[in-house]
Amino acid sequence: MFILTVCGMGFGTSLMMLMEIQDMAKRNGFEVEGEATDLSSSKGKACDLIVAGSEIASEISSETTVIPIYNLLDKQEFENKVLPKIREYFDAL
Amino acid sequence: MLSFITEILSTPSLTLGIITAIGLIVLRKSGSDIIKGTLKTIFGFIMLQQGSSIIVSSLVPFSQMFENAFHLVGVVAEDNAIAAAVQTVLGIETSFILLFSFLINIVLARITKWKYIFLTGHMMFSFAATMAITLDQMGIHGGKAILIGSSIQGVCCIIFPAAAQPFVRKVTGNDNVGFGFWGSSLVCAAGWAGGKLGNKEHSSEDINVPKKLDFLKEMSILMGIVMMVIYILTSFFVDKDVMAELTGGQNSITFSVIQASTFVVGILVLLQGVRMFLGELIPAFKGISEKIVPGAKPALDIPILYSFAPTATTIGFLCAVIGGLGATLISTMLPTVVLPSVIGLFFMGGGAGVIGNSIGGRRGAIIGGLLLGFLFQLIVALAYPIIGLEGYGIQGLWFASTDAIIVVVLMRLVGLLFGISI
Repeated sequence: MFILTVCGMGFGTSLMMLMEIQDMAKRNGFEVEGEATDLSSSKGKACDLIVAGSEIASEISSETTVIPIYNLLDKQEFENKVLPKIREYFDAL
Repeated sequence: MLSFITEILSTPSLTLGIITAIGLIVLRKSGSDIIKGTLKTIFGFIMLQQGSSIIVSSLVPFSQMFENAFHLVGVVAEDNAIAAAVQTVLGIETSFILLFSFLINIVLARITKWKYIFLTGHMMFSFAATMAITLDQMGIHGGKAILIGSSIQGVCCIIFPAAAQPFVRKVTGNDNVGFGFWGSSLVCAAGWAGGKLGNKEHSSEDINVPKKLDFLKEMSILMGIVMMVIYILTSFFVDKDVMAELTGGQNSITFSVIQASTFVVGILVLLQGVRMFLGELIPAFKGISEKIVPGAKPALDIPILYSFAPTATTIGFLCAVIGGLGATLISTMLPTVVLPSVIGLFFMGGGAGVIGNSIGGRRGAIIGGLLLGFLFQLIVALAYPIIGLEGYGIQGLWFASTDAIIVVVLMRLVGLLFGISI
């Protein structure tokens, strides 16, 4: 599964989000791949899911599901919002 | 054979690639992950260097324009561009200071009660380069520079996050994450001062910011607009024939727009490069620190604060721009004019706004932002004479990170005691 994380500023919060998601996936027995990008670079990248900081999630128009994250530090938020999507993806395989 | 090894170690892209590879091997990653990670680190680093040359080449005509127009030196505060630009001469020192300061950070976190692991990659990199530059200016190179630079950086990785933590706790409501940002001292101080003058009852989050301003959240757009305005305005004051020579006959407005855009493109390429090379290095570092330091607290980049008070972030940024412009105007009376550094004002202003709001509501955010913008630019203007970057072929750029500037000034003062003149 390929997850794209996006931050507006471009300096690395998307990387933090990606690391958090990958750690969480691993704890639950899943291996996910991904890339951390900023808003401009995110357009046109093929992926299965997009996870973005809430402040720019609205700026992303894509056919792929976009999940906004309000609190980057809240592991619970990632578990509530992203984990179900990961499970869905692997169940469908 | 020895010269081959030395050559590899003298090429920062390859050295960092090796460091990443070692980190990934230690973490028992798969063979394909190790190859991917290593190559991405190398590509990312070279991309960063390319971005840097684009930035520097677009700033050269601008410095000439500014000099001719106002008879002053115009400077933009941007650490990453400086760091990238000196890699050809200080790449080794930078790479090893980056590595050893991280190791010293881990050791200090392990043996003291301050468990902060500084993980904001691009800042680890730019601080290492700043150490290398400062020591180089003081006549210290090679192994000695690496030793001194890593020690100073390693200690700073603990001290600054520790100092900022009370404010982070107040904003985030928890103590699991720290603030790893070379500007944290000013952001916290400005936020605190603004907060003291504010009213906690009126939170900034109760205000609605018009959606139409949302496009400004995309940094490249914001920077593009600001730089174009600066370039075009400056071009109006340049002698006609000097202008004609710079543009090669092109219309000065078209020229300005293209040059300003080229600058932004350079930043975008550089950032993409940074993201790529750090995208492999930082997870490796994080993995290693977690194994060695129980209870490690990652000290992370400033955007962690934004989601706790998004409106305060915007208010803080807008006020920082106003404060910054004030400092720019004052700096016109000094030999060096510090032009509005959009990146710094955005990130730091936003942070000061959030902290200001947590202590003193919307007024806290506003005053915090104003103070931040003003002081941030002013400090750059005042500290500028301490380090000269022309020797590295850099024009029109200077350091932005307030904490790094404070450390550099202290280093220079200590140097005076040892007879190293400024």
